[in-house]
Amino acid sequence: MTSTVHLEIPASGAYLAVARAAATGLAAQLQFTYEEIDDLRIAVDEACTQVLARRGSATTLNVAYHLAEAELRVDVSIEAADRGDPLERDTFAWQILSAMTDEVREQSEDGRLWVSFRKAGGRG
Amino acid sequence: MGQLPQGGRPRVSELANSNGVAPLNGRSVDRSHAKDLFRRFVETRSPALREELVGLHLPLVEYLARRFRNRGEPLEDLVQVGTIGLLKAIDRFDLGREVEFSTYATPTIVGELKRHFRDKGWAVRVPRRLQELNLSLNKVVAELSQEIGRSPTVAEIATKARLPEEEVLEGLDTSNAYAVVSLDAPAGGEDAPAVSEHIGAEDESLEALEYRAALGPLIAGLPERERRILYLRFFGGMTQSQIAARLGISQMHVSRLLNRTLAVLRAGLLEDEETG
Repeated sequence: MTSTVHLEIPASGAYLAVARAAATGLAAQLQFTYEEIDDLRIAVDEACTQVLARRGSATTLNVAYHLAEAELRVDVSIEAADRGDPLERDTFAWQILSAMTDEVREQSEDGRLWVSFRKAGGRG
Repeated sequence: MGQLPQGGRPRVSELANSNGVAPLNGRSVDRSHAKDLFRRFVETRSPALREELVGLHLPLVEYLARRFRNRGEPLEDLVQVGTIGLLKAIDRFDLGREVEFSTYATPTIVGELKRHFRDKGWAVRVPRRLQELNLSLNKVVAELSQEIGRSPTVAEIATKARLPEEEVLEGLDTSNAYAVVSLDAPAGGEDAPAVSEHIGAEDESLEALEYRAALGPLIAGLPERERRILYLRFFGGMTQSQIAARLGISQMHVSRLLNRTLAVLRAGLLEDEETG
């Protein structure tokens, strides 16, 4: 069984706490461990920060949390006309995301810039 | 938990006299000299005079910055933040005012320091309930990890702590938002094992990134332990628990240091935006 939670917040660092808190609550439901949750929070912070850094004139940031069996997938996206310059692989940000999650992707599509990751966890 | 500053603005005369510690380093600023400098600065706006005025009042900034040092920020950073307040005060000071400059500048400097913490999402005052929650969760997580040999889930923590899961979540949410000083102290007191063993590969790997990521000065400026934790977690593939065991500190302490370091590194990225 999978379910999805959508969050739409102003494109400002001041709202990152909301994205983090949502991730924390959802991961707890999936029985993630304390450490897994901590890693997840770092990944959410990093993904949102990287996307926000490329926000241009965009005013909202979208975060979708997809809950699955022992796994949480997070899609962070923002409107970014054609100027969505991709998140480069050889950056520290990418390294953080890769180390904290099981899979990271970024793409620029349909006028939106996306950073998505998947984190496995949970005891059940 | 260290002393939290009281809400009111401290009066410089009080600061100067408490415990006999003068904020101005024991040498009281030669007031007529300061006045004279201000007079000339107001006329000329000379950068050199401004600099001299900053130097003259730096001890005041240092004194005020120390009042905030137990919040997990390096004192040098706080002095820098406070100096911004000092500069504002110098630029705005009106000689016609019947107040000493230090009296005038103190609220501006303290305001700048408070704003710094607010902008970082750190409350200046941590509610006591959350302080206590954090302390008890820290203990429970450590005990449980030991018992079951892995990091516990939220449900497990809640059962053990006899708290609703909601409250455990709240604790998780605030554990890294606030710098709880008592938990930040090194496990073995001030003389905790120095993290001095160096592995060449760590430095090389970090340096390669520093070049590309323009994080060079930031990473290089980190304390050695923070640099090392950063490396072990993000490049060495070690978990927080493994790092904790290796460094002889608790896993939650590793978590806190890691989160704080990332906050410092990220600060530059979104700096220009309004967070107030």
